[in-house]
Amino acid sequence: MTERVIHLKGFFEEARAGRLTGIRCGRCGALALPPKEFCEQCRERDWQPVPLDGAGALVSFTVIRVAPRGRAGEVPYAVGVVRLTEGVSLLGRIVDVPFDTLKAGLPLRFRPLEIGGQTMIGFGPA
Amino acid sequence: MRRVAVIGVGVTKFGKHDRTSAELFAEAASEAILDAGVAPSAIQALYFGNVTGGETERQLHMAPLAATLLGLPTIPTTRFENACATSHVAFRHALMEIASGVSDVVLVGGAERVLNVPTESATEFFAYCSDASLEQPAGLTFPGVFALIARAHMDKYGTTEEQMAHVAVKNHRHGTLNPKAQFQKEISLDTVLKSAYVADPLKLFDCCPFTDGGAALVLASEEVARKHRKPIWVLGSNAATDTMFVHEKRDLSRVTATERAAQGAYRQAGKTPADVNVVELHDCFTIAEIVATEGLGFFEPGTGGLAAEKGWTSLGGRLPVNPSGGLKAKGHPIGATGAAQIAEIVTQLRGEAGKRQVEGARTGLTHTLGGNTATVVVSLFGRD
Repeated sequence: MTERVIHLKGFFEEARAGRLTGIRCGRCGALALPPKEFCEQCRERDWQPVPLDGAGALVSFTVIRVAPRGRAGEVPYAVGVVRLTEGVSLLGRIVDVPFDTLKAGLPLRFRPLEIGGQTMIGFGPA
Repeated sequence: MRRVAVIGVGVTKFGKHDRTSAELFAEAASEAILDAGVAPSAIQALYFGNVTGGETERQLHMAPLAATLLGLPTIPTTRFENACATSHVAFRHALMEIASGVSDVVLVGGAERVLNVPTESATEFFAYCSDASLEQPAGLTFPGVFALIARAHMDKYGTTEEQMAHVAVKNHRHGTLNPKAQFQKEISLDTVLKSAYVADPLKLFDCCPFTDGGAALVLASEEVARKHRKPIWVLGSNAATDTMFVHEKRDLSRVTATERAAQGAYRQAGKTPADVNVVELHDCFTIAEIVATEGLGFFEPGTGGLAAEKGWTSLGGRLPVNPSGGLKAKGHPIGATGAAQIAEIVTQLRGEAGKRQVEGARTGLTHTLGGNTATVVVSLFGRD
């Protein structure tokens, strides 16, 4: 058994510091985000952490206007799925981009966000 | 494996109730047992579904409580939670208990109560069904998840907000024919299109409501079922899972768990999509119905919106979808929904659906989806 190279907690600690870290399968080369035990592609358990650049393009998005309890003061806010240049995707809050300019393919860049006392994955203009 | 039939169904009125989830289930269950015509003492186990009882009622361990309130306090019980697919998952396990020969008569269903808490609390509790590490902190809601799917479907196929609105109008029209539906009022295309955005491009009338309600089914082995007036046979039931993370979905315009669950269910039943006469599927949002009609094989990918617009899925159309009014108009008490969908298909196949009857229906399908499109169960039913 190999040790976990990165846990969810470590992933977020890194992300808070502005470093996005994925894992790459030592057998088939598949990238995964966030960390998991077995490779979904080849079922091997042999990961290496890899730094991700953070640049990507918007896949799909929405503007949330009815929020869960505790987030009502934040609406409206945009959430989207971004495909990173390395080939994995990540969901996060989109900031500093006018809602009416959001569209699939829009270049964005990862940035850690602290909103309402909560750390989250964020994306801003590339 | 032994053949299994549904011999009893019971559903409470859907809407707002001042009774607890366990009470709502007990009411539905007594109706199902009386409908089945079996002695209450014949029930050998309870498979019970509930999602948010810990949050909305401070009540866990609800399965034995439901059995106690039903007056059957000594049968073995199990509580299931798979987000909105909860009681359809419970159904599949109850089915396996009978098919394997362990029991002959089993009670299954679920209940939910959320209208006793404010909407923003219910929105938060439902969001607990998404991932708590990445998705909840970002403020993703369930309308948000399906908005991401809607946007992807619109970008890929040109599906329009108007086509989505047609689903809402149709299901509300069907709801007027169901005395147990939460909403029994027709709405216009304009009402949907002019309603406020909840999560762009989904508007208020693209979303199903929060609902209180319960639903129950009595399942029986072939030997017991043969004594019943109208047994409805379970032809197939299959569950599939997909990654919980929305960002890991290969193609946001599809729900691959629906496709995989359906393929297995059709194979078990020896049926194809063309054999199905009536469908109850998971229209938690209008786009969800469009994507499901494609994933279940009724319409080609990208044409589900057109099917809604052309009326192909209306009562009287080529394949009536959600004659009960669906989650959209009948309501969506998430722990009860799967069982309620099955109750509707059983009622249809018995020919007892009144004004919303699909004439001559012989084969029916139910489809229930849970959470971030991570859990799907599809079942097929037929009559003698």
